[in-house]
Amino acid sequence: MSTRSLLLTVCFLATLAVLAHASIAEAADRKYTRSIESYTVPDVTLVDQNGKKIPFKSYVETDQPVVLDFIYATCTTICPVLSASFLNLQNRLGPDAPKARLISITIDPEHDTPKIMKDYLKRYRAKPGWDFLTGSRADIDRVMRAFNAYIPDKMSHYQLTLIRSPRDGKWVRIKELISSQELLEEFRQAWKK
Amino acid sequence: MNGYSKKNGLTVVSVMVACLIGMALFGWNISASAGEQPAGVVGLSRVETLRLGENIYRKGILPSGKPVTAIVQGDMPIDGTMFSCESCHMRSGLGSFEGGVVTTPTNGANIYKPQFTLRRLTPSEMEKIPRYLAPLYLAPPRRPAYTDETLAVALHEGVDPSGRILHPVMPRYFLDDRDMKILVYYLKALSAEPSTGVTDTTIRFATVVTDKVPPEERDAVLAPLEKYVSGRNSRAKTFETRAKYGFFAESMDLSYRRLSLSRWELQGPPETWRRQLEEYYRQEPVFAILGGITSGEWQPVHDFSEEHRIPCILPITDFPVISETAWYTLYFSKGLYQEGEAVARHLGMTIDLPPDKVVVQIFHDTREGRAFSAGFQETWQGLGRQPPLNRALRTGETITKEFLQQLTDREKPAVILLWAGPEAVAALETIAASANRPELVYLSSTLLKQSLAKLPDQARDFTYVTYPYALPQGASAQLNQDQTKVPQTATTVRIIEKMRSLSLILTDALMMMGSNYYRDRFLEVIDMMQDKPRSYTNYERLSFGPGQRYASKGCYILQLGKGLNPELIRKSDWVIH
Ligand code: HEC
Repeated sequence: MSTRSLLLTVCFLATLAVLAHASIAEAADRKYTRSIESYTVPDVTLVDQNGKKIPFKSYVETDQPVVLDFIYATCTTICPVLSASFLNLQNRLGPDAPKARLISITIDPEHDTPKIMKDYLKRYRAKPGWDFLTGSRADIDRVMRAFNAYIPDKMSHYQLTLIRSPRDGKWVRIKELISSQELLEEFRQAWKK
Repeated sequence: MNGYSKKNGLTVVSVMVACLIGMALFGWNISASAGEQPAGVVGLSRVETLRLGENIYRKGILPSGKPVTAIVQGDMPIDGTMFSCESCHMRSGLGSFEGGVVTTPTNGANIYKPQFTLRRLTPSEMEKIPRYLAPLYLAPPRRPAYTDETLAVALHEGVDPSGRILHPVMPRYFLDDRDMKILVYYLKALSAEPSTGVTDTTIRFATVVTDKVPPEERDAVLAPLEKYVSGRNSRAKTFETRAKYGFFAESMDLSYRRLSLSRWELQGPPETWRRQLEEYYRQEPVFAILGGITSGEWQPVHDFSEEHRIPCILPITDFPVISETAWYTLYFSKGLYQEGEAVARHLGMTIDLPPDKVVVQIFHDTREGRAFSAGFQETWQGLGRQPPLNRALRTGETITKEFLQQLTDREKPAVILLWAGPEAVAALETIAASANRPELVYLSSTLLKQSLAKLPDQARDFTYVTYPYALPQGASAQLNQDQTKVPQTATTVRIIEKMRSLSLILTDALMMMGSNYYRDRFLEVIDMMQDKPRSYTNYERLSFGPGQRYASKGCYILQLGKGLNPELIRKSDWVIH
């Protein structure tokens, strides 16, 4: 390793350490708005990045905590950040990562085929436990409607993260981009027995 | 600033500053002589600097070959393999708007220019602007012009020269001095000059036609296009006057340009087209290519436009180049390939054919046959299936009774894909009567044409047909009959309707582009367009997205009802999953 890359790595890690520390100290005063919701999950069949059919309702209503978002493979700006937050959650959970069920649902089902979704997850180095789902336009519309997230066109997309607690089946709804620490806290909250 | 704590921000900044001081002390100034070529920075040639800068900007890869690293949204480490500057600021550097987040331009011309907008539009104000105009409102709020130093501060620490903290979606990058110089050099060159083909008054376009195209098809392409251009130009006076004297000399009016359209007519065999294109382009350096039609392949025009980075918008061809990375040609669909793709998805996902069943493809070893069969085979194998048995017919070979009987006796196929024209009618009669009748047969309506209605009744129960357009019944788009005086066959009607879609998309794109006359931007604004439903097109839907280059993604699988004028029965969604 050259001096330069060594130094860069040190800087990178130092920054992370400081960030982690600072955020834990401040987790109490929340900087974003959230709400608690109940949703009726539709009984549709979607398809994952491996071309496997997924019975959506039973897949979501599990005893694992679920984090769900709406993205599409060619989306700019917000999807990269949403997906980075999924990866970071997996990284921060470490060995617990497979216990979290992370679900990204495409809002561009015509373009996002299993192959494209698989490439996308690979680009983000997703670990097992994070799936990307597509389906017929009608089924995707039903899913969006069920989560009060319907948009008529992908270009009016907005950021939304939903977290389901297996305790009571309630969902935390967060309609803005949050930090990785904040997502981790929310996740732990949902997971607590 | 939601979700981003100021205190965190300050700590990050101080750590980064400390790092930077460290880097400065170590000092990585490489000084080498630039040699003969025009110099770039850090001792590299201009060409080499731009190449390395483009790698950082577009691929997130540093000159060392390692990915760029950064912190996004306050505390998330990311790297360049996930996304790069281009993912948000777009290839042209002119920015984007998504999810209420405005990504401002980052090309040198905008960065090194002071901004005077007092207040940025809020996300909800942004939502009220018609979607197609949103790209015109990407200006950053008031700030002085950047310098190389303040730009480095913005990229490292996320603070602009007025002291404003940038939205936490804009990553804070770890870049050393040398890499920063290379990236900044690239940003200065990015969309620095408007592209070729635009003057103060006119945007020049060309369309491509080849000599073997039937005259009525050629007219079906040219007449609507030329009519569109002259129609738009006849309205130009109004816009020019408004822009000059108008009380509300809006940017939209100022950006109005007349269009010119050259016909690039290609003669002779396809191998010679490239040379002819180069010659036309030398004489008429156009901004982009609109529509166009060739007999047979499109590849030479595709390569020409890719290599010169000239957009080519919605040509008429059954043979688009199938590529995941090509950028400059936007096709209506994948053509015949897409029908093969639809059959694979229908058979694999909807029918869910058991893996031990035999699938046979029969096709003529022609450009058509190869497109259908490749579309099927590649998609089929993508679904994790074994390759089908391919029976390619040589020139002159026909689908005889004996041929079919031998095939069904020997292979006992469960499914036959019969990529054939009217001869499929007789073949289907044989198949229906044969002892080892396959369970399913697939045909293409594009190849069958009028013979579609003649498929034998006794075969209709087990026969599926691909149909890559919206179904005729229901509210099909009404053709504007007086748009052209061309005699209307089924093919020319389709072409005319496609040219109508092109003109609607072009009108939006020119408005969205504003006065950003950059070729990359032209394609990007189309990428940002909303889906176009049936009122715009004879496809079920056209949809767009960054880098998406086949606008129609679907193809129906149909069955026929009984009788001479059979009902078309939809057996699949437009896009099959
Ligand atoms: C995940 C999306 C994203 C990525 C990736 C990204 N940016 Fe940005 N960038 C933004 C957003 C959003 C803004 C606007 C922030 C604001 O105005 O508060 C911005 C602002 C900027 C600005 C300030 C512009 C001004 O006028 O003040 C510069 C310069 C910039 N980005 C350069 C870059 C470069 C260079 C890269 C790659 C090394 C990059 N950005 C990567 C989203 C992104």
